[in-house]
Amino acid sequence: MRNEVREALIAKLTALADDEVILAHRNSEWVGHGPILEEDIALANIVQDELGHATLWYGLRQQLDGSDPDQLAFFRDANQYRCCELVELPKGDWAFTMLRQYLFDLYEAFWLEAARHSTYQPLADAAQKIIREERFHLQHTRAWIERLGQGTEESNRRLQQALEMQWGYAQQLFVPIPGEELLVAEGIVPDLASVKERWLEHSTRHLQAAGLKLPINPGYQPTSRTYHTEHLWSILAEMQSTARWDAEAKVW
Amino acid sequence: MDTQWPRWEVFKQDTPHKPHQAVGSVHAADPEHALLTARNVFARRPQAVSMWVARAEDIYAWTQEEILEGLATAKADAGLGTACRYLVFRKTSHKRSMTFVDHVGEVEATSPEEALQQAQARFTDTTALAWWVVPADKVYQSDPSPETVESWFAPAKDKTYKQQQYYATVGSHISKHKRGRGVEDEE
Repeated sequence: MRNEVREALIAKLTALADDEVILAHRNSEWVGHGPILEEDIALANIVQDELGHATLWYGLRQQLDGSDPDQLAFFRDANQYRCCELVELPKGDWAFTMLRQYLFDLYEAFWLEAARHSTYQPLADAAQKIIREERFHLQHTRAWIERLGQGTEESNRRLQQALEMQWGYAQQLFVPIPGEELLVAEGIVPDLASVKERWLEHSTRHLQAAGLKLPINPGYQPTSRTYHTEHLWSILAEMQSTARWDAEAKVW
Repeated sequence: MDTQWPRWEVFKQDTPHKPHQAVGSVHAADPEHALLTARNVFARRPQAVSMWVARAEDIYAWTQEEILEGLATAKADAGLGTACRYLVFRKTSHKRSMTFVDHVGEVEATSPEEALQQAQARFTDTTALAWWVVPADKVYQSDPSPETVESWFAPAKDKTYKQQQYYATVGSHISKHKRGRGVEDEE
């Protein structure tokens, strides 16, 4: 693999893993606070799955540059993280959390479907493994969008409010990272433009069927993963505190 | 206003040749939601190939004692409706910590009580401690397509978990707390 392709792949794997870690940690804030025990468990399951996916992506990076996944997750500062801003936003209410997870699951499912055909075999294998779980996540969050959208006036209003906040942020999922065109040219990762086309078509149809209006003005659309919201600092402070407090701990 | 979602009984099938067994219940808003939460609660790690859910209020249940007291026959003559299919479940043991109510088959009857009588006559291989009969159209099944089976149940095979003893270093063994008062901890 050419050096610049390798560097781009390392950066892409980092972005993929960082999205999963931050979204998982954000959703883990619901543990013990879910609207009902069954949904509390369901969201915790999704969180564990997303952390598993992050482990896979960091693991692929480790094969390329020997980096330690735990070091990356727990000892990088916010400005070294490459997650998108959507996953950083505070958890909000249940509608906000379900909508974000739905928009993310739909993107991830389509990206993985295409990534199964990657010319880089370890990535193709990982995508094949992950997509099974992602299909189930998507069924669950899609069901919530329908129920909140068509539920009561209150649930529809909350979901609509969440959509207006998140729609612009969600577009960042389809902004390539610097050097990503090299990976696409080599067939290593899917072209985000075609993933976005499917995502837009499906999400628009489903959201409208659930009685929601797509924002006419999409609002703020982040473009670079080197910039973050203020929320990333506080979530990392909490997530990393134990590891940083006793970095040498062998047994907890 | 009652904001509690209805309770659904969950039936899990471990392998294609085993019966569906009642494993517990979930609260959910509707059948699809019940199946989704049932999968999360009862089949994230344990083996499964299929799940059914039925609203608890659609399940007619009798214990052996209730049947002996004649409670099951009291309304047997009242059923004048057209015949419909009932799924029959039977509990046969109290012995294990988890005792299940197993799916044993299907009968056609004009009332739940008649369904019970048929079940008692047909499934005679062992003593029943309790019977459940459920109208077949009140039982909702997980999608049997290979894609759904793979995404709902296959990942469980890769999800290992640690037994509680593994975490012994987190707390301390119970024996440490049983020594007499006034004895200092060893350093």
